[in-house]
Amino acid sequence: MFTLIKLFILLLVVCIPVTAHAEDTPVKSMQLDVNLLLTRMNAGGNDEFKSGNAVAVQYSYYFKNWLAADIGLITTDKTLDESRTDVVGDYRASIQTSSILLGLKPRYRFSAPYEVYGRLGLLYWRTELEVEEYFSEAIPGGNISATDTGPGYYASIGGAHYITENVMVQLEIRHMKQLDVFAGQSDFPFDLTINALSIGLGYRF
Amino acid sequence: MQIEATSSGGILCRTGAIVLTFLIVGCEVESSDNLPDVSESGLFMYAEANLHDAEETAPIAAAETAQIAAAVFRDGQPVGLVGGDVFEARTETDRILLKESGSFVGSYAASMPIDNSVQDVFLNVVHEPVEAREDRWYPVDLLNIDPGPGELVGKSATVSFPPAVKITGPAADPVSVYASIDEIIDLTWVAGGEGNTIGEDDTMRVLSAVNCTDGLATSSYGTVVEFTNGDGTVVEFTDDDGLEAISLDQFIYDLNDDRPVLRFIKDAARVLLQELLNDLSAGNIDPDFLASQAEANPVNSACEIRLFLQRQRDGQFDASFDSGRVVGSRSAEVVVNYVPVVQLN
Repeated sequence: MFTLIKLFILLLVVCIPVTAHAEDTPVKSMQLDVNLLLTRMNAGGNDEFKSGNAVAVQYSYYFKNWLAADIGLITTDKTLDESRTDVVGDYRASIQTSSILLGLKPRYRFSAPYEVYGRLGLLYWRTELEVEEYFSEAIPGGNISATDTGPGYYASIGGAHYITENVMVQLEIRHMKQLDVFAGQSDFPFDLTINALSIGLGYRF
Repeated sequence: MQIEATSSGGILCRTGAIVLTFLIVGCEVESSDNLPDVSESGLFMYAEANLHDAEETAPIAAAETAQIAAAVFRDGQPVGLVGGDVFEARTETDRILLKESGSFVGSYAASMPIDNSVQDVFLNVVHEPVEAREDRWYPVDLLNIDPGPGELVGKSATVSFPPAVKITGPAADPVSVYASIDEIIDLTWVAGGEGNTIGEDDTMRVLSAVNCTDGLATSSYGTVVEFTNGDGTVVEFTDDDGLEAISLDQFIYDLNDDRPVLRFIKDAARVLLQELLNDLSAGNIDPDFLASQAEANPVNSACEIRLFLQRQRDGQFDASFDSGRVVGSRSAEVVVNYVPVVQLN
């Protein structure tokens, strides 16, 4: 996966300047997006995460009118799993994660002040998993946490409405996948899926 | 259901009565525990392993599975095993942790693959901080708060299985049908087990899983049959003599009766029977089937009564326990139906 990321980055670094010079650079070739996300996590097991929130900031460089290189940062709040009880005790897990995004963003702009777009790329995540556990009055519990980093991928599709020549509002559905979380540290790694609905503003310049 | 007469007004009245009864009585029926002689002082061990002799039509898994339940009491109160302490059941070839929690803190159950050659099951309390958490979704070997072994770790008991149970009556096919709770079920079986003389120490117990419907609502619950000794004391266990006459009111009751004769199954016995029902249905049964859910009035409903006859043999518990009840049991099932004669004005 690391090799895949390196290849992808290399492709972007090599292709973007070449392509940008080869084409007529658009007047407004860059865009900054800030989005608020309503997230839903799934760790693939019997987890039942509550919905959470996140913030995403993304920068796009349009080397063609319809295609941009996309780089961004997304960070979630601490998202809680349901509290539950088993033969060991009462416990609750929570996850906080941040990711760097790197990919491509194609778009199609209609004649009216609307456009649709997508994002597709790789991400590099840093995820902290925390577990609170309590046993009984006589046996104290506590918190324990661990952090891992690794690769994954993301894809999204959205629509934008230009409210001025430069500013647009965006609505976007996102899917992010973190692969092999805690592999190498544990015999029980998992893949973390984050689906999200986001709303935000974009600024073209 | 046999209906002798009908009228719209009568049906309306009956429906109203059922709804009113439901509102007044509620859904849960209180009952005392089914654990005999739990000492009010000291450490008490309860353990039971039941091997059910399923019909050929039952899932294969049920025929090869023993249901195991265990609990520990201190001064009459159940002790919860926490922090990775858990009951382990072991035979010569298999091993399982009892991770299913029962209806009260301190009762645990599991189903264990077993065959007829197995005579004994060894139960002990072990400390397995990772394995006890393996049903959780996150990396339990990495994120593990381990308080260390508790004081019950190392304590043990051994259960031995008695001979198999063979029910000879009532007949399984066709299914016997009863119309009144005053009727008697003549439950007969091969005394002492096939090919055996009557075991001196073996006792019999009758459990039931009852499911009733009145066409609008259902009720499901479990009962333990009580027997009256010669000296008038009421007990759950009877001699292994091959015959017991049991009144139907040990299984069917009237929601309007404040003091029904029957005794609902509770606690560890309920955990064990629920585990057996799960195995027999391959998991396709309400996990609260035995939770005394009374929405239809059983006495006026058509009910399926699954009778489970258990032969029990006392086992041994660790000397570190002050007292206890450790039994190995084998069981067989017969189904009878209750279809009341409905009389309408």
